[in-house]
Amino acid sequence: MNRHPLVGWLLLAPSLLLLGGLVLFPILYNFWLSLHDKHAFMPVQNFVGLKHYVYFAGDPEFWSSVRYGTIYAGGTLILQLVLGVGAALLLNEAFRGRNILRGVVLFPYMIPTIVAVILWKWLLNDSYGLVNHVLVTVGLVRAPVAWLGKDHIMTSLIVMSVWQFFPFVVVTYLARLQTIPPELYEAAKVDGATAWRRFLHVTLPQTYNVLFVIVLLRSIFMFTKFDTVWLMAGEGGVSRYVRTLPVYAYSRSFTYLQAGMGATLAVLMFLLLLAATVVYFRAFRNDEAAA
Amino acid sequence: VRRRLALYGAGLLLLVIGAFPLAWMLSTALKPSGEIFATPPTLVPRAVTLENFHRLFQETNFLTYFGNSVGVALATVVLTLAVSSMGAYGLTRFAFAGRERVAGLILMTYMFAPIMIIIPFYILVKQLGLVNTRLALVLSYTTFCLPFCLWLLRSFFQSIPLELEEAALVDGADLRRAVWHVVLPLALPGIIAAGIFTFILAWNDFLFALVLVTSEELKTLPVGVNDLFNATIVDWGMIMAAGVVITVPTIGLFVAVQRYLIQGWGAGGVKG
Repeated sequence: MNRHPLVGWLLLAPSLLLLGGLVLFPILYNFWLSLHDKHAFMPVQNFVGLKHYVYFAGDPEFWSSVRYGTIYAGGTLILQLVLGVGAALLLNEAFRGRNILRGVVLFPYMIPTIVAVILWKWLLNDSYGLVNHVLVTVGLVRAPVAWLGKDHIMTSLIVMSVWQFFPFVVVTYLARLQTIPPELYEAAKVDGATAWRRFLHVTLPQTYNVLFVIVLLRSIFMFTKFDTVWLMAGEGGVSRYVRTLPVYAYSRSFTYLQAGMGATLAVLMFLLLLAATVVYFRAFRNDEAAA
Repeated sequence: VRRRLALYGAGLLLLVIGAFPLAWMLSTALKPSGEIFATPPTLVPRAVTLENFHRLFQETNFLTYFGNSVGVALATVVLTLAVSSMGAYGLTRFAFAGRERVAGLILMTYMFAPIMIIIPFYILVKQLGLVNTRLALVLSYTTFCLPFCLWLLRSFFQSIPLELEEAALVDGADLRRAVWHVVLPLALPGIIAAGIFTFILAWNDFLFALVLVTSEELKTLPVGVNDLFNATIVDWGMIMAAGVVITVPTIGLFVAVQRYLIQGWGAGGVKG
């Protein structure tokens, strides 16, 4: 029978070629670029060693982008977790219409970012937006709020991003919830545990590992999120109140055409994530908990 | 009874969070321009009209963008499924040294967000002479879908008993036919899930489309619609109509094959 290892490699070859050529090679090339002065379009390039790294260490804009990125990633992470876990717990209960709701709740995650952004810009519009209309009518604010102005743009961006990405938490958390043996809950009920204590002492320990992964992935995805942030605030005006690291790297490379500096920011982004990941594993990895 | 009420109340709230913004988009898209800015706003349009869609199709390049998006997304799905099912089959059914390490390495590439390599990626594509081509988009999307699809399909192939395949071989089929008639049909839920995932990623992508394509006639929907949005004073009715038209294929596909998708997601996780 034709199970020669060579055939296995041959079948894998197209995948490896694409991943090697279009992911691994660019990663290495990116590192090399970060050591050079390079224009994004012109062929000129000069080796400058660690010059860019030294430059960014003293660049207030770099540090502010790290700060904004952390606020954005942290804020969206916490709210996504609360909303996503809450929704998953609800969708794990039996009630009529549950299956439809399980589908509908994924809609925000499926639609293109551009749609989510124009939709929220319309909802939050200062003169005609529905949100302001409701807030004014109910009496929570006296005059319409400039949600997309500099004072509130970060809040609006976070709210909009939570809406767009919380379904990820719902799907992954719900998948794990469904595999918890019902006997565990029955035993807890017999012991007279309240719903809150059942959540604390049965659900949470059972789902510790999936939460560990969700927090890890969501943090990485939010910290490297480009399109949502860029589309929400653009590059001029109010954008400097939400200029996260990915947006800063993009404008260095494609607006100021400093490919070398852009590449340096990408390396710094990677190093920051790597450091955070190592700390996170040290602090929260729990090998004994149920998978 | 109180518990029931709480459940349905929370369910209703979740329904509003998930669906209301999209319903509002549809409602705005169907309103005549006068009603769009009316106070108090009407939730259901008093006078339903298709004039926003008409303007979108007649006065902008929207249909060109739409055609480009469909072409790029479908080509990406075909290429990704071909490459990843071959690769996943190779990873499951052939024993070779370093197999697990290769699989692990593939998963690792999944951790790199496109923004972290977009600069060298752009320079590379430029040197290959592929800037401003649909091929560049198809290759980018295929590459970024591959790790997920390979892992997803691998887990599906692993769950198919080798004996079924061997039985077909004993019956005189060659390996290619055994795979085509036995393995692939059994892995269909996984293949569909991988296909939908790929389609949605290609359909929704903004970054690659922004960087790799600049000419008007090659633009895909996300970049094209962003241009429309930034062009002049925002024509909200028309922009919401554009939003509706972009959203329909994604949600339509999703609803059509939802059960396969949930199964696939459970097996592999999602990204974004």
